[in-house]
Amino acid sequence: MVRAPEWGMYIIWYFFLGGIAGGAYFMAAIADNFGGRRDREVAKVGYFIAFPLVMICGVLLILDLGMSSRFLNMVKILKFWNPMSLGAWAVGVFGAFSFACALLSLGVSEERLALRRNVAKVGSWFGFFLAAYTGVLLSNTAQPIWRDARLMGALFLASGASTGLASIALISYFKGANLGESWSKLKKADTFAMVVELALLVALVLMLGPSANPIIKGSFALPFWGGLVVLGLVVPLGLSFVKPGDGKERTAGGTMAIASVLILIGGFLLRYVVIMAGQL
Amino acid sequence: MARTLAMFTDTSLCIGCRACEVACKQWNQLEAETPHWTGSYQTSPHFTDKTWRHVKFIEKKDERNEPKWLLMSDVCKHCNQAGCLEACPTGAIYRTPFGTVDISQDICNGCRYCVSACPFGVVAFNHGTGRVNKCTFCVDRTSEGMKTACAKTCPTDSIEFGYRDELAAKAKKRLAELHAKGVKEAILYGEDENGPLGGLNAFFLLLDKPEVYGLPAEPTLPQKPIVKDAGLSAGAAILVGLGAIVAFRERGGGDRGGEE
Repeated sequence: MVRAPEWGMYIIWYFFLGGIAGGAYFMAAIADNFGGRRDREVAKVGYFIAFPLVMICGVLLILDLGMSSRFLNMVKILKFWNPMSLGAWAVGVFGAFSFACALLSLGVSEERLALRRNVAKVGSWFGFFLAAYTGVLLSNTAQPIWRDARLMGALFLASGASTGLASIALISYFKGANLGESWSKLKKADTFAMVVELALLVALVLMLGPSANPIIKGSFALPFWGGLVVLGLVVPLGLSFVKPGDGKERTAGGTMAIASVLILIGGFLLRYVVIMAGQL
Repeated sequence: MARTLAMFTDTSLCIGCRACEVACKQWNQLEAETPHWTGSYQTSPHFTDKTWRHVKFIEKKDERNEPKWLLMSDVCKHCNQAGCLEACPTGAIYRTPFGTVDISQDICNGCRYCVSACPFGVVAFNHGTGRVNKCTFCVDRTSEGMKTACAKTCPTDSIEFGYRDELAAKAKKRLAELHAKGVKEAILYGEDENGPLGGLNAFFLLLDKPEVYGLPAEPTLPQKPIVKDAGLSAGAAILVGLGAIVAFRERGGGDRGGEE
Protein backbone atom coordinates (compact mmCIF):
# COMPACT_ATOMS: atom_id res chain seq x y z
CA MET A 1 0.00 0.00 0.00
CA VAL A 2 1.66 3.18 -1.15
CA ARG A 3 0.64 6.76 -0.57
CA ALA A 4 0.15 9.39 -3.28
CA PRO A 5 2.15 12.61 -2.90
CA GLU A 6 -0.95 14.72 -3.64
CA TRP A 7 0.61 16.48 -6.61
CA GLY A 8 -2.01 18.52 -8.41
CA MET A 9 -2.44 21.32 -10.95
CA TYR A 10 0.71 23.25 -9.94
CA ILE A 11 2.85 20.23 -10.76
CA ILE A 12 0.92 19.35 -13.93
CA TRP A 13 1.38 22.91 -15.23
CA TYR A 14 5.00 22.89 -14.17
CA PHE A 15 5.73 19.64 -16.01
CA PHE A 16 3.95 21.00 -19.10
CA LEU A 17 5.53 24.47 -19.13
CA GLY A 18 8.95 23.16 -18.08
CA GLY A 19 8.85 20.79 -21.06
CA ILE A 20 7.98 23.64 -23.41
CA ALA A 21 10.68 25.90 -21.96
CA GLY A 22 13.36 23.22 -22.26
CA GLY A 23 12.18 22.07 -25.69
CA ALA A 24 11.81 25.58 -27.16
CA TYR A 25 15.27 26.46 -25.88
CA PHE A 26 17.20 23.48 -27.20
CA MET A 27 15.37 23.65 -30.51
CA ALA A 28 16.23 27.36 -30.67
CA ALA A 29 19.85 26.50 -29.92
CA ILE A 30 19.88 23.97 -32.76
CA ALA A 31 18.24 26.41 -35.19
CA ASP A 32 20.71 29.09 -34.09
CA ASN A 33 23.81 26.92 -34.49
CA PHE A 34 22.94 24.75 -37.45
CA GLY A 35 20.43 26.84 -39.38
CA GLY A 36 20.74 29.83 -41.65
CA ARG A 37 20.04 33.53 -41.33
CA ARG A 38 16.25 33.18 -41.30
CA ASP A 39 16.41 30.49 -38.65
CA ARG A 40 17.78 33.08 -36.27
CA GLU A 41 14.25 34.44 -36.04
CA VAL A 42 13.07 30.99 -35.03
CA ALA A 43 15.83 30.86 -32.41
CA LYS A 44 14.91 34.30 -31.07
CA VAL A 45 11.28 33.30 -30.60
CA GLY A 46 12.44 30.13 -28.81
CA TYR A 47 14.58 32.07 -26.33
CA PHE A 48 11.78 34.56 -25.72
CA ILE A 49 9.46 31.64 -24.91
CA ALA A 50 11.91 29.79 -22.65
CA PHE A 51 12.81 32.66 -20.32
CA PRO A 52 9.33 33.77 -19.13
CA LEU A 53 8.13 30.16 -18.93
CA VAL A 54 10.98 29.03 -16.71
CA MET A 55 10.23 31.98 -14.42
CA ILE A 56 6.61 30.81 -14.18
CA CYS A 57 7.91 27.30 -13.52
CA GLY A 58 9.87 28.51 -10.51
CA VAL A 59 6.77 30.22 -9.11
CA LEU A 60 4.63 27.09 -9.62
CA LEU A 61 7.17 24.93 -7.81
CA ILE A 62 7.36 27.33 -4.89
CA LEU A 63 3.57 27.55 -4.63
CA ASP A 64 3.28 23.76 -4.54
CA LEU A 65 5.48 23.41 -1.45
CA GLY A 66 3.83 22.83 1.90
CA MET A 67 6.11 25.57 3.24
CA SER A 68 6.77 27.91 0.34
CA SER A 69 8.94 30.19 2.49
CA ARG A 70 11.49 27.36 2.69
CA PHE A 71 11.95 26.95 -1.07
CA LEU A 72 15.64 27.84 -0.78
CA ASN A 73 16.18 24.65 1.25
CA MET A 74 16.07 22.88 -2.13
CA VAL A 75 19.34 24.46 -3.20
CA LYS A 76 21.24 24.35 0.07
CA ILE A 77 22.40 20.87 -0.83
CA LEU A 78 22.88 18.98 -4.10
CA LYS A 79 22.14 15.28 -4.37
CA PHE A 80 23.45 14.33 -7.79
CA TRP A 81 21.51 11.04 -7.80
CA ASN A 82 18.20 12.70 -6.92
CA PRO A 83 15.99 14.00 -9.79
CA MET A 84 14.20 16.55 -7.64
CA SER A 85 17.39 17.99 -6.19
CA LEU A 86 19.01 18.20 -9.62
CA GLY A 87 15.78 19.59 -11.06
CA ALA A 88 15.60 22.43 -8.55
CA TRP A 89 19.16 23.40 -9.43
CA ALA A 90 18.49 22.98 -13.14
CA VAL A 91 15.51 25.36 -13.07
CA GLY A 92 17.83 28.02 -11.65
CA VAL A 93 20.76 27.36 -13.98
CA PHE A 94 18.51 27.02 -17.03
CA GLY A 95 16.78 30.24 -16.00
CA ALA A 96 20.13 32.04 -16.14
CA PHE A 97 20.96 30.66 -19.59
CA SER A 98 17.54 31.47 -21.02
CA PHE A 99 17.75 34.97 -19.57
CA ALA A 100 21.16 35.48 -21.18
CA CYS A 101 19.92 34.28 -24.57
CA ALA A 102 16.75 36.38 -24.41
CA LEU A 103 18.88 39.42 -23.50
CA LEU A 104 21.34 38.77 -26.33
CA SER A 105 18.41 38.46 -28.76
CA LEU A 106 17.53 42.11 -28.18
CA GLY A 107 20.52 43.33 -30.15
CA VAL A 108 21.33 42.85 -33.83
CA SER A 109 25.11 42.98 -33.85
CA GLU A 110 27.00 39.96 -35.16
CA GLU A 111 29.08 39.73 -31.97
CA ARG A 112 25.97 39.44 -29.85
CA LEU A 113 24.51 36.77 -32.10
CA ALA A 114 27.78 34.84 -32.02
CA LEU A 115 27.82 35.08 -28.23
CA ARG A 116 24.17 33.99 -28.11
CA ARG A 117 24.97 30.90 -30.17
CA ASN A 118 27.80 29.98 -27.83
CA VAL A 119 25.75 30.52 -24.68
CA ALA A 120 22.99 28.37 -26.19
CA LYS A 121 25.43 25.55 -26.90
CA VAL A 122 25.95 25.13 -23.17
CA GLY A 123 22.43 26.08 -22.10
CA SER A 124 20.78 23.56 -24.40
CA TRP A 125 22.08 20.71 -22.22
CA PHE A 126 20.11 22.15 -19.34
CA GLY A 127 17.13 22.49 -21.68
CA PHE A 128 17.31 18.79 -22.49
CA PHE A 129 17.59 18.06 -18.79
CA LEU A 130 14.60 20.23 -17.86
CA ALA A 131 12.40 18.57 -20.47
CA ALA A 132 13.31 15.01 -19.46
CA TYR A 133 14.03 14.90 -15.73
CA THR A 134 10.40 15.27 -14.68
CA GLY A 135 9.70 11.88 -16.26
CA VAL A 136 12.65 10.29 -14.46
CA LEU A 137 11.46 11.93 -11.24
CA LEU A 138 8.17 10.06 -11.60
CA SER A 139 9.73 6.75 -12.64
CA ASN A 140 11.90 6.74 -9.50
CA THR A 141 9.04 6.58 -7.03
CA ALA A 142 7.10 3.70 -5.45
CA GLN A 143 3.79 4.67 -7.12
CA PRO A 144 2.01 2.21 -9.41
CA ILE A 145 2.37 3.03 -13.16
CA TRP A 146 5.17 5.55 -12.55
CA ARG A 147 7.58 3.06 -11.00
CA ASP A 148 7.39 0.72 -14.03
CA ALA A 149 7.58 3.50 -16.63
CA ARG A 150 11.21 3.18 -17.71
CA LEU A 151 10.53 5.35 -20.80
CA MET A 152 8.78 8.22 -19.01
CA GLY A 153 11.80 10.55 -19.15
CA ALA A 154 12.36 9.79 -22.84
CA LEU A 155 8.66 10.35 -23.57
CA PHE A 156 8.59 13.68 -21.72
CA LEU A 157 11.69 14.76 -23.62
CA ALA A 158 10.11 14.03 -27.01
CA SER A 159 6.92 15.77 -25.88
CA GLY A 160 8.96 18.76 -24.65
CA ALA A 161 10.63 18.96 -28.05
CA SER A 162 7.37 18.87 -29.98
CA THR A 163 5.49 21.24 -27.65
CA GLY A 164 8.51 23.59 -27.68
CA LEU A 165 8.52 23.68 -31.49
CA ALA A 166 4.73 24.05 -31.52
CA SER A 167 4.98 27.14 -29.26
CA ILE A 168 7.64 28.64 -31.53
CA ALA A 169 5.45 28.01 -34.60
CA LEU A 170 2.33 29.39 -32.94
CA ILE A 171 3.95 32.59 -31.72
CA SER A 172 5.73 33.12 -35.03
CA TYR A 173 2.40 32.75 -36.81
CA PHE A 174 0.63 35.29 -34.63
CA LYS A 175 3.57 37.68 -34.92
CA GLY A 176 3.14 37.41 -38.67
CA ALA A 177 6.85 36.65 -38.88
CA ASN A 178 8.19 36.14 -42.36
CA LEU A 179 9.89 32.82 -41.77
CA GLY A 180 9.95 31.66 -45.38
CA GLU A 181 11.51 28.24 -45.63
CA SER A 182 11.95 28.12 -41.85
CA TRP A 183 8.32 27.01 -41.70
CA SER A 184 9.13 23.77 -43.45
CA LYS A 185 12.18 23.27 -41.22
CA LEU A 186 10.09 23.78 -38.10
CA LYS A 187 7.52 21.39 -39.47
CA LYS A 188 10.11 18.77 -40.34
CA ALA A 189 11.72 18.91 -36.89
CA ASP A 190 8.32 18.79 -35.18
CA THR A 191 7.07 15.90 -37.29
CA PHE A 192 10.15 13.92 -36.38
CA ALA A 193 9.75 14.71 -32.67
CA MET A 194 6.10 13.62 -32.82
CA VAL A 195 6.96 10.34 -34.55
CA VAL A 196 9.51 9.64 -31.81
CA GLU A 197 6.96 10.62 -29.16
CA LEU A 198 4.28 8.37 -30.62
CA ALA A 199 6.72 5.45 -30.86
CA LEU A 200 7.82 5.97 -27.25
CA LEU A 201 4.22 6.22 -26.08
CA VAL A 202 3.32 2.92 -27.77
CA ALA A 203 6.45 1.28 -26.34
CA LEU A 204 5.71 2.63 -22.85
CA VAL A 205 2.13 1.36 -22.83
CA LEU A 206 3.22 -2.05 -24.14
CA MET A 207 6.00 -2.28 -21.54
CA LEU A 208 3.61 -1.32 -18.73
CA GLY A 209 1.22 -4.10 -19.74
CA PRO A 210 -1.70 -4.45 -17.33
CA SER A 211 -0.35 -1.75 -15.02
CA ALA A 212 -1.20 0.79 -17.75
CA ASN A 213 -4.91 0.06 -17.27
CA PRO A 214 -5.69 3.14 -15.12
CA ILE A 215 -4.42 5.26 -18.02
CA ILE A 216 -5.83 3.45 -21.03
CA LYS A 217 -9.14 2.35 -19.48
CA GLY A 218 -11.61 4.00 -17.15
CA SER A 219 -12.03 7.72 -16.52
CA PHE A 220 -8.71 8.71 -18.13
CA ALA A 221 -9.34 6.77 -21.33
CA LEU A 222 -11.00 9.73 -23.07
CA PRO A 223 -8.28 12.32 -22.41
CA PHE A 224 -5.64 9.68 -23.19
CA TRP A 225 -6.98 8.19 -26.43
CA GLY A 226 -9.14 11.05 -27.66
CA GLY A 227 -7.05 13.98 -26.40
CA LEU A 228 -3.43 12.88 -26.38
CA VAL A 229 -3.26 10.13 -29.01
CA VAL A 230 -5.78 11.30 -31.61
CA LEU A 231 -6.00 15.10 -31.25
CA GLY A 232 -2.50 15.64 -29.89
CA LEU A 233 -0.46 13.28 -32.05
CA VAL A 234 -2.31 11.56 -34.92
CA VAL A 235 -4.15 14.63 -36.26
CA PRO A 236 -1.10 16.98 -36.14
CA LEU A 237 0.99 14.25 -37.78
CA GLY A 238 -1.64 13.98 -40.51
CA LEU A 239 -1.65 17.78 -40.94
CA SER A 240 2.11 17.78 -41.34
CA PHE A 241 1.68 15.83 -44.58
CA VAL A 242 -0.63 18.47 -46.06
CA LYS A 243 1.41 19.99 -48.89
CA PRO A 244 0.97 23.73 -49.40
CA GLY A 245 0.90 25.04 -52.95
CA ASP A 246 3.67 27.30 -54.28
CA GLY A 247 3.85 30.69 -52.62
CA LYS A 248 1.25 29.70 -50.05
CA GLU A 249 3.58 30.04 -47.08
CA ARG A 250 0.97 31.89 -45.07
CA THR A 251 -1.44 28.97 -45.50
CA ALA A 252 1.33 26.58 -44.54
CA GLY A 253 1.84 28.63 -41.39
CA GLY A 254 -1.90 28.52 -40.71
CA THR A 255 -2.00 24.74 -40.96
CA MET A 256 1.00 24.54 -38.69
CA ALA A 257 -0.64 26.92 -36.20
CA ILE A 258 -3.69 24.66 -35.97
CA ALA A 259 -1.45 21.61 -35.57
CA SER A 260 0.52 23.47 -32.89
CA VAL A 261 -2.57 24.19 -30.80
CA LEU A 262 -3.44 20.49 -30.92
CA ILE A 263 0.13 19.48 -30.01
CA LEU A 264 0.04 21.78 -27.00
CA ILE A 265 -3.30 20.35 -25.85
CA GLY A 266 -1.84 16.85 -26.22
CA GLY A 267 1.29 17.80 -24.28
CA PHE A 268 -0.79 19.12 -21.40
CA LEU A 269 -3.03 16.04 -21.36
CA LEU A 270 0.02 13.75 -21.28
CA ARG A 271 1.16 15.32 -18.00
CA TYR A 272 -2.37 15.52 -16.65
CA VAL A 273 -3.21 11.86 -17.32
CA VAL A 274 0.14 10.53 -16.08
CA ILE A 275 0.14 12.53 -12.85
CA MET A 276 -3.52 11.99 -12.00
CA ALA A 277 -3.77 8.30 -12.97
CA GLY A 278 -0.56 7.53 -11.08
CA GLN A 279 -2.12 8.77 -7.85
CA LEU A 280 -5.47 6.96 -7.97
CA MET B 1 28.09 5.26 15.14
CA ALA B 2 26.21 3.67 17.96
CA ARG B 3 24.98 0.12 17.69
CA THR B 4 21.94 -0.09 15.42
CA LEU B 5 18.65 -0.03 17.28
CA ALA B 6 15.61 -1.94 16.10
CA MET B 7 12.08 -2.99 16.88
CA PHE B 8 10.87 -6.55 16.43
CA THR B 9 7.10 -6.89 16.12
CA ASP B 10 6.00 -10.49 16.64
CA THR B 11 2.47 -10.56 15.24
CA SER B 12 1.84 -14.01 16.75
CA LEU B 13 1.73 -12.33 20.16
CA CYS B 14 -0.42 -9.32 19.18
CA ILE B 15 -3.87 -9.20 20.80
CA GLY B 16 -5.05 -6.10 18.91
CA CYS B 17 -5.44 -3.90 22.01
CA ARG B 18 -4.04 -0.84 20.20
CA ALA B 19 -2.19 0.33 23.32
CA CYS B 20 0.82 0.97 21.03
CA GLU B 21 -1.23 3.37 18.89
CA VAL B 22 -2.35 5.25 21.99
CA ALA B 23 1.09 5.33 23.63
CA CYS B 24 2.56 6.65 20.36
CA LYS B 25 -0.06 9.38 20.15
CA GLN B 26 0.45 10.36 23.80
CA TRP B 27 4.23 10.53 23.70
CA ASN B 28 4.38 12.28 20.34
CA GLN B 29 1.37 14.51 21.11
CA LEU B 30 -0.55 13.43 18.02
CA GLU B 31 -4.21 14.31 17.71
CA ALA B 32 -6.95 11.71 17.83
CA GLU B 33 -8.69 11.02 14.53
CA THR B 34 -12.25 10.10 13.64
CA PRO B 35 -12.40 6.32 13.05
CA HIS B 36 -13.32 5.04 9.60
CA TRP B 37 -15.43 1.96 8.91
CA THR B 38 -12.98 -0.36 7.19
CA GLY B 39 -15.04 -3.53 7.26
CA SER B 40 -13.35 -4.86 10.39
CA TYR B 41 -12.31 -3.71 13.87
CA GLN B 42 -9.48 -1.76 12.25
CA THR B 43 -10.15 1.95 12.83
CA SER B 44 -8.36 3.49 9.86
CA PRO B 45 -7.27 2.11 6.49
CA HIS B 46 -3.62 3.07 6.82
CA PHE B 47 -1.06 5.24 8.56
CA THR B 48 -1.75 8.96 8.61
CA ASP B 49 0.33 11.98 9.51
CA LYS B 50 -1.11 11.59 13.03
CA THR B 51 -1.08 7.79 13.33
CA TRP B 52 2.45 6.40 13.29
CA ARG B 53 1.71 3.00 14.82
CA HIS B 54 -1.18 1.34 13.05
CA VAL B 55 -2.84 -1.91 14.12
CA LYS B 56 -4.21 -3.97 11.26
CA PHE B 57 -7.09 -6.42 11.77
CA ILE B 58 -7.21 -8.88 8.89
CA GLU B 59 -10.12 -11.30 8.83
CA LYS B 60 -9.47 -14.76 7.40
CA LYS B 61 -11.14 -18.16 7.36
CA ASP B 62 -9.20 -20.99 8.99
CA GLU B 63 -9.12 -24.61 7.77
CA ARG B 64 -12.48 -25.35 9.51
CA ASN B 65 -13.95 -22.30 7.74
CA GLU B 66 -14.16 -20.45 11.06
CA PRO B 67 -13.25 -16.76 11.04
CA LYS B 68 -9.85 -15.92 12.52
CA TRP B 69 -7.85 -12.75 12.96
CA LEU B 70 -4.46 -11.81 11.70
CA LEU B 71 -3.30 -8.89 13.82
CA MET B 72 -0.33 -6.71 13.08
CA SER B 73 0.96 -3.52 14.62
CA ASP B 74 2.57 -1.82 11.64
CA VAL B 75 5.12 0.99 11.82
CA CYS B 76 7.77 2.81 9.76
CA LYS B 77 10.37 0.19 8.80
CA HIS B 78 13.41 2.51 9.17
CA CYS B 79 14.86 0.80 6.07
CA ASN B 80 18.61 0.43 5.74
CA GLN B 81 18.14 1.60 2.14
CA ALA B 82 15.37 4.15 2.59
CA GLY B 83 13.47 5.47 -0.43
CA CYS B 84 12.25 8.54 1.49
CA LEU B 85 15.76 9.47 2.56
CA GLU B 86 17.13 9.12 -0.98
CA ALA B 87 14.23 11.17 -2.38
CA CYS B 88 14.48 14.09 0.05
CA PRO B 89 15.96 17.08 -1.83
CA THR B 90 16.52 19.25 1.25
CA GLY B 91 18.36 16.85 3.53
CA ALA B 92 15.50 17.03 6.04
CA ILE B 93 15.32 13.22 6.10
CA TYR B 94 18.45 11.80 7.67
CA ARG B 95 19.93 8.66 9.18
CA THR B 96 20.31 8.94 12.95
CA PRO B 97 23.41 7.60 14.76
CA PHE B 98 21.20 4.68 15.83
CA GLY B 99 20.67 3.61 12.21
CA THR B 100 17.05 4.76 12.13
CA VAL B 101 15.49 7.33 9.75
CA ASP B 102 14.15 10.64 11.01
CA ILE B 103 12.68 13.85 9.52
CA SER B 104 13.89 17.24 10.67
CA GLN B 105 10.79 19.44 10.91
CA ASP B 106 13.05 22.50 10.83
CA ILE B 107 14.26 21.73 7.30
CA CYS B 108 11.38 19.94 5.52
CA ASN B 109 9.65 22.25 3.03
CA GLY B 110 6.77 19.98 2.14
CA CYS B 111 7.67 18.92 -1.43
CA ARG B 112 6.23 15.44 -0.74
CA TYR B 113 8.69 13.56 -2.96
CA CYS B 114 9.43 11.25 0.02
CA VAL B 115 5.71 10.40 0.25
CA SER B 116 5.82 9.07 -3.31
CA ALA B 117 9.07 7.18 -2.69
CA CYS B 118 8.13 5.08 0.36
CA PRO B 119 7.40 1.48 -0.73
CA PHE B 120 5.21 1.07 2.38
CA GLY B 121 3.18 4.29 2.21
CA VAL B 122 4.43 5.39 5.63
CA VAL B 123 5.50 9.02 5.21
CA ALA B 124 2.45 11.31 5.28
CA PHE B 125 1.88 14.99 4.54
CA ASN B 126 0.44 17.12 7.33
CA HIS B 127 -1.79 19.78 5.76
CA GLY B 128 -1.70 21.78 8.99
CA THR B 129 2.05 22.23 9.26
CA GLY B 130 2.84 21.87 5.53
CA ARG B 131 5.48 19.27 6.35
CA VAL B 132 5.72 15.48 6.32
CA ASN B 133 5.62 13.21 9.34
CA LYS B 134 6.28 9.64 10.31
CA CYS B 135 7.50 7.52 13.23
CA THR B 136 10.64 9.08 14.74
CA PHE B 137 11.66 5.86 16.49
CA CYS B 138 10.99 8.00 19.59
CA VAL B 139 14.36 9.65 19.06
CA ASP B 140 13.69 11.85 22.09
CA ARG B 141 13.32 8.71 24.28
CA THR B 142 15.88 6.39 22.70
CA SER B 143 18.63 9.02 22.85
CA GLU B 144 18.02 9.10 26.63
CA GLY B 145 18.31 5.32 26.92
CA MET B 146 14.56 4.66 27.03
CA LYS B 147 12.50 2.27 24.90
CA THR B 148 10.17 3.53 22.21
CA ALA B 149 6.73 4.38 23.62
CA CYS B 150 4.98 1.58 21.71
CA ALA B 151 7.44 -1.10 22.84
CA LYS B 152 7.31 0.17 26.42
CA THR B 153 3.54 -0.09 26.55
CA CYS B 154 2.94 -3.36 24.65
CA PRO B 155 1.36 -5.68 27.26
CA THR B 156 2.25 -8.94 25.46
CA ASP B 157 5.77 -8.01 24.34
CA SER B 158 4.59 -8.36 20.76
CA ILE B 159 6.66 -5.22 20.16
CA GLU B 160 10.22 -5.51 21.40
CA PHE B 161 12.88 -2.83 21.38
CA GLY B 162 16.63 -3.35 21.48
CA TYR B 163 19.86 -3.72 19.55
CA ARG B 164 19.32 -5.03 16.05
CA ASP B 165 21.72 -7.98 16.23
CA GLU B 166 20.22 -9.23 19.51
CA LEU B 167 16.64 -8.83 18.28
CA ALA B 168 17.42 -10.57 14.99
CA ALA B 169 18.80 -13.57 16.89
CA LYS B 170 15.69 -13.56 19.08
CA ALA B 171 13.42 -13.40 16.02
CA LYS B 172 15.13 -16.39 14.42
CA LYS B 173 14.80 -18.37 17.64
CA ARG B 174 11.11 -17.52 17.88
CA LEU B 175 10.58 -18.51 14.23
CA ALA B 176 12.24 -21.91 14.82
CA GLU B 177 10.10 -22.37 17.93
CA LEU B 178 6.88 -21.68 15.97
CA HIS B 179 7.95 -23.93 13.08
CA ALA B 180 8.66 -26.73 15.62
CA LYS B 181 5.14 -26.27 17.02
CA GLY B 182 3.68 -26.73 13.54
CA VAL B 183 3.06 -23.09 12.67
CA LYS B 184 4.68 -23.60 9.29
CA GLU B 185 3.30 -20.40 7.76
CA ALA B 186 5.30 -18.15 10.10
CA ILE B 187 7.95 -16.03 8.33
CA LEU B 188 10.28 -13.20 9.22
CA TYR B 189 9.87 -9.97 7.27
CA GLY B 190 12.76 -7.52 6.98
CA GLU B 191 15.07 -9.22 9.46
CA ASP B 192 17.68 -10.24 6.86
CA GLU B 193 20.28 -7.49 6.28
CA ASN B 194 21.14 -9.12 2.95
CA GLY B 195 17.47 -9.08 1.95
CA PRO B 196 15.35 -6.35 0.33
CA LEU B 197 16.30 -2.75 1.20
CA GLY B 198 19.34 -3.97 3.12
CA GLY B 199 17.06 -5.13 5.90
CA LEU B 200 14.45 -3.22 7.88
CA ASN B 201 15.24 -1.86 11.33
CA ALA B 202 11.63 -2.43 12.31
CA PHE B 203 11.11 -6.05 11.29
CA PHE B 204 8.26 -8.48 11.79
CA LEU B 205 7.23 -12.06 12.37
CA LEU B 206 4.16 -12.67 10.18
CA LEU B 207 1.70 -15.57 10.14
CA ASP B 208 0.91 -15.35 6.43
CA LYS B 209 2.34 -14.00 3.19
CA PRO B 210 3.37 -10.31 3.33
CA GLU B 211 0.73 -9.42 0.71
CA VAL B 212 -2.02 -10.57 3.07
CA TYR B 213 -0.86 -7.85 5.47
CA GLY B 214 -0.72 -5.27 2.68
CA LEU B 215 3.09 -5.40 2.58
CA PRO B 216 5.09 -5.74 -0.66
CA ALA B 217 6.66 -9.22 -0.96
CA GLU B 218 9.89 -7.83 -2.42
CA PRO B 219 10.14 -4.12 -1.65
CA THR B 220 12.76 -2.38 -3.79
CA LEU B 221 14.49 0.96 -3.59
CA PRO B 222 12.54 3.20 -6.03
CA GLN B 223 15.73 5.01 -7.08
CA LYS B 224 17.39 1.83 -8.34
CA PRO B 225 16.58 2.30 -12.06
CA ILE B 226 17.75 5.93 -12.18
CA VAL B 227 20.80 5.32 -14.40
CA LYS B 228 18.74 3.28 -16.86
CA ASP B 229 15.93 5.86 -16.96
CA ALA B 230 18.38 8.74 -17.37
CA GLY B 231 20.20 6.83 -20.11
CA LEU B 232 16.99 6.23 -22.05
CA SER B 233 16.15 9.93 -21.72
CA ALA B 234 19.60 10.87 -23.04
CA GLY B 235 19.05 8.48 -25.95
CA ALA B 236 15.77 10.21 -26.79
CA ALA B 237 17.51 13.60 -26.52
CA ILE B 238 20.19 12.53 -29.00
CA LEU B 239 17.58 11.14 -31.41
CA VAL B 240 15.29 14.18 -31.30
CA GLY B 241 18.29 16.53 -31.39
CA LEU B 242 19.80 14.86 -34.44
CA GLY B 243 16.42 14.98 -36.18
CA ALA B 244 16.23 18.73 -35.55
CA ILE B 245 19.83 19.26 -36.71
CA VAL B 246 19.03 17.50 -39.99
CA ALA B 247 15.85 19.59 -40.34
CA PHE B 248 17.53 22.95 -39.68
CA ARG B 249 20.86 22.33 -41.41
CA GLU B 250 21.51 24.58 -44.35
CA ARG B 251 22.32 22.71 -47.52
CA GLY B 252 24.97 24.13 -49.85
CA GLY B 253 26.20 26.77 -47.42
CA GLY B 254 24.19 29.68 -48.93
CA ASP B 255 23.42 32.36 -46.37
CA ARG B 256 24.89 30.60 -43.37
CA GLY B 257 26.44 33.40 -41.37
CA GLY B 258 28.67 33.60 -38.29
CA GLU B 259 30.23 30.22 -37.76
CA GLU B 260 31.10 28.49 -34.53
